[in-house]
Amino acid sequence: MSSPLADVWEAAAASPFQPTIGKNSQFTIGFALLFASLLLTGFFGLNRSFVNLPLVGAPASVAFGFGAVYMICAVGVYV
Amino acid sequence: MRSSSLFTSAIAALASFASAELNLSEPLRSKQLLPSTFKPPQVFKNAHLVRTTNLDKAYPRETVNVLIENVAAKPQSEYYVPFDTSLLSHVGGFEVRDKKNAAAGAFAVDVVGLDHASTTEYYLVHLPEPLAPGAQQTLSISYSLLSSLKPVPAELPQMAKQYLQYTFSAYAPSAYPVEKQRTKLKFPNADVTDYTTLPAELNDDHKSDPQKQGSTFTYGPYKDVPAGAQQPVSVRYEFTKPVIQSTLLERDIEVSHWGGNLATEERYWLVNEGAGLKNHFSRVEWQRQSYMNPATFALKGLNLHLHPGTQDPYFTDDIGNVSTSRFRRGNKENLLELKPRYPVFGNWKYSFRVGWNADLSTYLRKLAKGDTYALKVPFLEGPRAPEGMSYGRVSLRVILPEGATNVNFHTTVPIVANETTLHKTFMDTLGRTALTLTAINLVDDFRDRDLIVTYDYPWTAGYRKPIVITLGAFAVFAFVWAVGSIDTSIGKKKTA
Repeated sequence: MSSPLADVWEAAAASPFQPTIGKNSQFTIGFALLFASLLLTGFFGLNRSFVNLPLVGAPASVAFGFGAVYMICAVGVYV
Repeated sequence: MRSSSLFTSAIAALASFASAELNLSEPLRSKQLLPSTFKPPQVFKNAHLVRTTNLDKAYPRETVNVLIENVAAKPQSEYYVPFDTSLLSHVGGFEVRDKKNAAAGAFAVDVVGLDHASTTEYYLVHLPEPLAPGAQQTLSISYSLLSSLKPVPAELPQMAKQYLQYTFSAYAPSAYPVEKQRTKLKFPNADVTDYTTLPAELNDDHKSDPQKQGSTFTYGPYKDVPAGAQQPVSVRYEFTKPVIQSTLLERDIEVSHWGGNLATEERYWLVNEGAGLKNHFSRVEWQRQSYMNPATFALKGLNLHLHPGTQDPYFTDDIGNVSTSRFRRGNKENLLELKPRYPVFGNWKYSFRVGWNADLSTYLRKLAKGDTYALKVPFLEGPRAPEGMSYGRVSLRVILPEGATNVNFHTTVPIVANETTLHKTFMDTLGRTALTLTAINLVDDFRDRDLIVTYDYPWTAGYRKPIVITLGAFAVFAFVWAVGSIDTSIGKKKTA
């Protein structure tokens, strides 16, 4: 028996979903990003200036944002 | 003037009649309601009917193969199947197919209720192509009857054999006259202690009724049975296996694009509908017997056959982790063996939850154009046991990523309700799109049925989570900088 959605499923057989980061490397990536974020935060803490806010604070925030997502996935809460 | 007002009032009165009739003919709810005087139009006749009742599982499964013939002058496409109102709530998985073209799929079916205290309700089968006058077609009607087996006696010693009683009508349910019919009963074994014997005059062959052949009994053949006729009979047979029903099953399937994971969790509320325990439960006797592995009517364990690639299983109940489980990995399937904390005897209950993870790439595909994804998951993945298992209500929730829109689904499982809501959980800002499907009266035969869900998920929506966390972290940096640059020194401000 076929239905439109079953046809859609069959048509997409060649393109299974692949996550950007596989399950096995989530912890490594997450840890590396969080650690980088920690180092940058420490650097920012020693030199708090307006220039350092975008120069150091922004990359630290981005590293923390992505690092947190991957670390939460790595420990088993798949968000 | 006067005559004209009389005329308008007459028109108004007629109009109100007409509108009242219109209201009556409109279906009041999704379930059609008809007046209690309703009788299905006698446009068909059942030329030949064979009903097979399979009792080898913990619920009777009926298959009715019927040759229908249109006896009206016009083509007909609406075929009714009657059930007692009390029985209708136990009918599950009602499906009608063309016997000679089963691959064409199940026909559309509606439940038709009658208003007030009518004792009969109908399933209305829509034949895909109207049957021409005089033409014949063979239908294969299949359904299961949940909670319709009664343990007799109702209470047993711990190690006794269990007997179940099944009461039904020797005439198959039919809204049309049946020219010739018979009912075959397939028992799990030849130990059938009691059964109703019908007089040989009823039987068309004038033989003793039922005819026995090993573990198969045949009631009939009967000739020219009028519409709606009933002939109650009951049988009692050995069935020393648990009669397990999950009164409620909540099943969550959670899709995570970031983690590349499909998380499944199932929450069961089981009850054994078999015989109760006569005396106290004796652990000593139970333990002594368990080495010989005798047949018992208590539920000892459940086996879940999971797809290969599943990992991280868990089995918990209200107390916490249940350590009596095993997870065996295999190439074809992964087997999750569960043992409840106690053997579940008749009328006892046990509720628990199991869950596992799987790689998303097996279940999710990305469509060629746009940001549309298609997800294919099994509707049911419950335990597999020779005695079978029935489900009173199944609530399946597919939790899609946050920001998924345009959700469509398809399944061949008969569902009674569907809704799309928001589910709020870890690190959500808006809440995840959740599709909830509800089905009632399912049996474990529906394990192989799939559910296909398609949804749009723009890549921008995918970045919501890291961006929210990034913004939060940046706000902290900005706050620290702002607070750090406040001059809190006491005394005069140093200039230059």
